[in-house]
This record gives sequence, C-alpha cells and structure tokens, in this order.
Amino acid sequence: MNFWINFSDKFNQAFVTGDRWRLYLKGLLSTLELTVAALALGVVLGVLVAVLRAAHDQQRVGQHNVLLGAANAVCQVYTTVIRGTPMLVQLLIWRFVILSTVRDYTLVGALGLGINSGAYVAEIVRGGLMSVDAGQSEAGRSLGLGYIDTMRFIVVPQAFKNILPSLGNEFITLLKDTSLVSAIGGAELVYFAQSVGARTYEVMFPYIGIAVMYLVVVMFLTWLQGRLERRLRQSDRRS
Amino acid sequence: MIDVHELSKSFGDHLVLDKITEHIESGEKVVIIGPSGSGKSTFLRCLNLLETPSSGTITFDGQVITDPKTDIDAVRRRMGMVFQHFNLFPNMTIRKNLTLAPVRTGLLKQAEANDKATALLKRVGLEEKADTYPAQLSGGQKQRVAIVRALMMEPEVMLFDEPTSALDPEMVGEVLDVMKELARDGMTMVVVTHEMGFAKEVGSRILFMADGKVLEKGTPQEVFGSPKNPRLRDFLSKVLI
Repeated sequence: MNFWINFSDKFNQAFVTGDRWRLYLKGLLSTLELTVAALALGVVLGVLVAVLRAAHDQQRVGQHNVLLGAANAVCQVYTTVIRGTPMLVQLLIWRFVILSTVRDYTLVGALGLGINSGAYVAEIVRGGLMSVDAGQSEAGRSLGLGYIDTMRFIVVPQAFKNILPSLGNEFITLLKDTSLVSAIGGAELVYFAQSVGARTYEVMFPYIGIAVMYLVVVMFLTWLQGRLERRLRQSDRRS
Repeated sequence: MIDVHELSKSFGDHLVLDKITEHIESGEKVVIIGPSGSGKSTFLRCLNLLETPSSGTITFDGQVITDPKTDIDAVRRRMGMVFQHFNLFPNMTIRKNLTLAPVRTGLLKQAEANDKATALLKRVGLEEKADTYPAQLSGGQKQRVAIVRALMMEPEVMLFDEPTSALDPEMVGEVLDVMKELARDGMTMVVVTHEMGFAKEVGSRILFMADGKVLEKGTPQEVFGSPKNPRLRDFLSKVLI
C-alpha cells in the first residue's frame, strides 16, 4: 500500500505537478526537430559527398579532372575525421571552440549532429550506388542519356531501395544521439528530464519516462520504414 | 559508316585488342565469332565507347568519336546496343523503360513516345506487357523488350553483345526472329554471337577473332565453307552448327 502511494506521489511529482508534462512534450518536440534538422543536413551532405566520390571513381581512364580530385580529397578527410572521433567530442568542439559565441545551443547541436551524420550517410549512399549493377548505367549511357540523367532515373532510385534499411537505422541512431546535445546545453528531452530531476530530487521517473518516449518514437519509425520498404519492393514482384 | 583504325585496348598488362582495322558499311550485317576471351565483346563495346580504347581511332559517319572533345552522348543516341544480360531497368515499367531515353533526350514528346512504344511492342508481340515490370517477364521477353528499347531511339546501327547467351534454349528462337526481321528491314548490325546458324543465315560478313586480332573474314560461305586459318578450323570443329 505504502509503495503505491509513494509511486503515485513520485509519478505526480515527475509528470503532473506544475504541468511538468508540458516540459517533456516541449523536449520531445525539440528532440524531433533536432533529428529532422540534423537528418536533412546529413542527407544533403552525405549524398553530395557520395556522388562526388562516385563520380571521381568512375572517370574514364586518362581523363582525370583536377577539380574532382581536390573535392574527393576534401571528402575523404571529412569522412575520416568525423568517423574517427567521438560524437560527444565533436559536439564539445562545435560548442566551446568553433561556435563558442553562438548562444542557441540546440542549433549548434543540430549542426554538429548533421555534419556527423553526413559522414555516415555518405558511406551508406556510396555503398548503395556501388551495389547497382554496372550494366544498368551502361544501358542508360548506351541509349544516349547523360551521366546525370542516368544517375537520376536509373542508378539512384535502385540504390535508394538498397540503402533504405541502413538509412533507416541511421535515422534511428540519430534520434537517440540527439540526447548528447544535452551535454552542450541544448534544450531537448534529456535536458528537461534533468531539470525536473534537479527540482524534485527524484530521477527515476523522469529518466524512465523519457526512455519510454524514445522507445515509442523509434518503434513508430521502424514500422514506417517497413511500410516504405514494402512499397518500394513493388517492382520485384513476379506475378 | 564505321571506320576502325588500329584499335588497341589493354586492361592493365593484358592486351585484349591488337591494332584492329576494320570498316563497316551502312546496311551490312557483320557477325563476329570466336572463342571466349578473343576480344569480340571488347571490340563491340569500343564501338560506342563503353570501353575506352587504349589507342587507335574510331570514326562514325565522318566524326572521330575517339576524340575526347566529341559529344559521346549524341553519338550513342545514333547507335543502339543490346546486352547479354538485357539490362532492363527493374525500377520502371516496360513502357517507361522504352520511353525514358527518347523523352529525356528530346527526341520525342511523352505522348509520341508512348505511341511508338505501343507500336514497337506490338511488332514483337508484347503489347500487353507495357505496364508490367521487367521481373515479370521471361528472358526471351526481356531481350525482345531490350531490342525495342534500343530501337526507340531510331538508331542507324545496332550493336548486339551475345544477345542469346543468357537465355534458356527454348527462348533463343524468339529473339533471333526479331533480329532477323530487323536485318530484313535493312538495319546495319554488328552482332557478337555463338549462334552459328544465325551467322550463316543473316550475316553479310563474318569476322573471326582470336587473341585480339581478326584472323579471318569473309562471306558466310567463305568462312564456314572453306576456312583457311587453322584456329578458325579448330574453332568450327568444336562448335555445333
């Protein structure tokens, strides 16, 4: 009996008193915004890097473009540095070294996450582009389509279908990694859970509460991904 | 129509084509035969620069296409190519497979391309497949669609790279029939094949290649009837005719 009274007291304290649920809602929204912003930046960067690197690798023998070579070198440094250092360290560097004068820490977090995600997305997309049979682009080019049209209508749509599972995983990882932004003062879900905990001297409910929220969002995303994959498999059906 | 002058191609240290000089006239049906690894496919793929020659020149209709300044896309629009493994686009319906290139390159409007696709599919007996995806077709049907896809661009020459080698035996006939019809219509054709019957019946000139060289050439009667080169005689004794 005592336990349950205690339980509901603490629950009320963590979520109901002073309309604290609004804080979690605000945090959840901010987490989602962070994820979407970082993802958009990551996908744009990742596709750009992947296409540059693929174009560099697919040049005709003896016709090397100097500009493309330089771009390829920059891309390689980018992916190596980003994938070779911890995300938290990168965030700390953005916040306290490079952008130390910017006061919107959530924005700094989105930037740091997006740039980080771009390096991983680039490798995923590059793998996807390479997974499409060379005969596909040969067929496109033999019909007189240019490199860009061949990529746009033939190679990229097929690559996209192949990379969707990995891209979905990256999206989910990104969503969870937004929690690190609390370490540089970004106002997202963990930040509000911590502030509630600090005020009530009770952390179990806030932390387990937000864990459940992350879990629900991730499960929803996984379901969404499955639906999209099924739709893209339409053209594989044999009857 | 196509002038090949001292064409060489090597992959690393391996010399695949050794200074080939050849002339293909408009309306000719050139059939290239030879053992595997002889460079037949590489030669064909050099003609529309899917392979970049290591040295030598290729001239198409007076235009030196091996010159780096040539707009290779514009040249390829005038040369159709059919591949061993069909290479249909699995993410598009048959209709879209056929109309993508003519519409994107500005040759036809979408509506015109659709009409043309329907007409050509009818010619190869596949008009009811227009809205299906390649995965739903048999190998023979896929290859017929691939031929039609190349024809959509109204090419002046058609290149065939072992078009029946990946097919089940019972489907070879339907693809060869389409190619024979094309030959009767006067299309210039360069065909790499192991189908000696087709070579005899349709070829106006046979090239026998081995070790990156053209070792013997002539009419089907000459090449099959009285082969002179010992390699050719050896080759013909091993293939079923």
